[in-house]
Amino acid sequence: MIKSRKWKLSWVRSRGIPILLSLVVSAASAQQQVGQLEGEFRLNGKETWKAFDPVREVLQESSAVVYDGWKSIAYGVIVSSDGYLVTKASEIEGVEELSVRVNREHFKKVRVVSSTVEWDVALLKVEGQGLPVIKWAEPEPAHGTWVISNGSTTRRDRRLRVGIISANARKVGEGRAPVVLGVTLDTSGEEEGLPVKEVQKDSGASEAGLESGDVILEMEGRPVRSMEDLQELLGSKEPGDRIQVRLRRDGEGLDLEVELKRRESVFEERKTRNDAMSGRVSKRRSDFPRVLQTDLPLSVRSVGGPLLNLEGHCVGMNIARANRCETYAIPAKELRAIVDNLIGKEKAGSAAE
Amino acid sequence: MKKHRLTGLWLFCFSVWSVGCCLISAAEEVGEDRQYFNEKEVPEDLRDLRNIQKALQETLPQARAATVSIDLGGGSGSGVIVSGKGLVLTAAHVSAGVGKEMTVIMEDGTKYKAVSLGLVASTDAAMVQIMEEGVFPYVELDRGDSASLGDWVYALGHSGGFEKERGVGVRIGRLVRMAEQTINSDCNLIGGDSGGPLFNMKGQLIGIHSRVGASLEQNMHVPLREFLKNWDAMLAKEFVGKGPFAQEAVAFLGVSTEDREEGGVVIKEVGDKTPAADAGLQEGDVILMLNGNELDGAEQFSASLKGFKPGQKVKLKILRDDKEQEVEVELGEK
Repeated sequence: MIKSRKWKLSWVRSRGIPILLSLVVSAASAQQQVGQLEGEFRLNGKETWKAFDPVREVLQESSAVVYDGWKSIAYGVIVSSDGYLVTKASEIEGVEELSVRVNREHFKKVRVVSSTVEWDVALLKVEGQGLPVIKWAEPEPAHGTWVISNGSTTRRDRRLRVGIISANARKVGEGRAPVVLGVTLDTSGEEEGLPVKEVQKDSGASEAGLESGDVILEMEGRPVRSMEDLQELLGSKEPGDRIQVRLRRDGEGLDLEVELKRRESVFEERKTRNDAMSGRVSKRRSDFPRVLQTDLPLSVRSVGGPLLNLEGHCVGMNIARANRCETYAIPAKELRAIVDNLIGKEKAGSAAE
Repeated sequence: MKKHRLTGLWLFCFSVWSVGCCLISAAEEVGEDRQYFNEKEVPEDLRDLRNIQKALQETLPQARAATVSIDLGGGSGSGVIVSGKGLVLTAAHVSAGVGKEMTVIMEDGTKYKAVSLGLVASTDAAMVQIMEEGVFPYVELDRGDSASLGDWVYALGHSGGFEKERGVGVRIGRLVRMAEQTINSDCNLIGGDSGGPLFNMKGQLIGIHSRVGASLEQNMHVPLREFLKNWDAMLAKEFVGKGPFAQEAVAFLGVSTEDREEGGVVIKEVGDKTPAADAGLQEGDVILMLNGNELDGAEQFSASLKGFKPGQKVKLKILRDDKEQEVEVELGEK
């Protein structure tokens, strides 16, 4: 007898009546077991992958594996033959022993050049020459188009995962700034300024000494009267930026400097029932300006690499494992603009030196 | 391909074998119509993959147009329209009963009032009818029961509830396990997909999403044959079978009673806004008869009420101020 946990698939919002929430524990009787398709013949089985081999070759040549010590933590897209590549920024944050493998070559010296928190993309540089650059696909892939990406890796070989474009390309999230002070605010009052209700543990706000009851009056010398003011100001910031905050505490003015941190590292996400059936998901999986959605069954450590079509051309970059049936990718068009921007800034910077 | 990995009790081996044979012979009968890529163990090259993609993309627009989100107020599932008049197939645990009102939402956001018809509680099949006028996009059914282990399929659904910007989600996979009342695919499903459609690569409906297991490859669907078998009963708003996917509504009067030595039962309490209150029953009334049958105790009275369905009318002979009178009550739903 096989005993397994099964979930009914109606979706119930948290305030909903929990009738449809019940966990169905069912025992499949032996009588019902008619036939099974062996794992290697399934969608992501190794026999099925063989037909995709020409595309796997592209991953072998022009995707990068990003390591923390001996452990692979993400993939990367090679965007210049002299060693620039992009990956998912939040996955490499704080990594001390960063290295990169391209095909069978291991680059132990990796420079984190810059990043954009808006898209969660980091630009890396290795000392390489003649690296195979990804070829960009045009136009954007329609629903049902095969997509192929890195699945796992050995020192020698890149393996793949396959799926299709699943839904409309779109903005995900509520347009919140990706960096935060680390406070919850009372926006109900008539007061000038924003009263602090709570200060999050391990946030820039708590490190700077903000307290509940403080009233935020100004940031960077500009008055903040609403959440919109605050979001607009934070929208253009990167994690690690420090921001001047003017407060009122017990009737007196006070100036503090607060370090901004990534939203997902400060605020814990509320877990939904769909999260419970999804396994591990990317820490940063929302608030992207525009994404493609695929059904690729990626692990959180297999994002950051190129998303390819059957021609082996790059339609995007995997940016988040969102849940059991959704993986997001930055579309090629936006990714190219991000790359141009990050490399452009770097070149302008070094020219100035 | 090793088609049959048999596990479980030896005693069942014979039945497993015979059911397996039926499926194989059914597949042979429709062999001519089958798409060539389904005859292969796996796609061999990019050409095969492109043909699978082409088949999916040619049939997808109609499949998407007919796939709906079903909003029940507190939660939501999915469904698929199978007639121009707006008949929807879904899962029993989505419709959750007979005669319930709900809202059907098309991919473009258009909303229609709908009501649930019958369901099969044991296998998770159900029907819903759109109650507004219109000519609705619909999909064809795989009436020949042609689905076979290993076939390429795709799943649609409004994962996590309706989201206009995202639209319907499509996922590809193969049929990975076939049983009489459940088929499994490796199309990934999640909450909100329940009741959504599973298609073959001709765009014909072969199943309805029901539930998932812990692994990504355990995505379970009710086979279409389960719907075809119970089609007329569901159209006739019947509640077929017993649990676990839906519980039959229990008829409800709304009084608490106790035994009475002289026969009948005495009403101790009448609940607010209950059928009993609506019919004018009062505390202290004695109920002597239910539809002409004498009552001899509170327990027996409550048991006989369970034989009725919500919406049914019953006649009560009551005794109030030493006068007998007859009261008709339409039973409610608990």
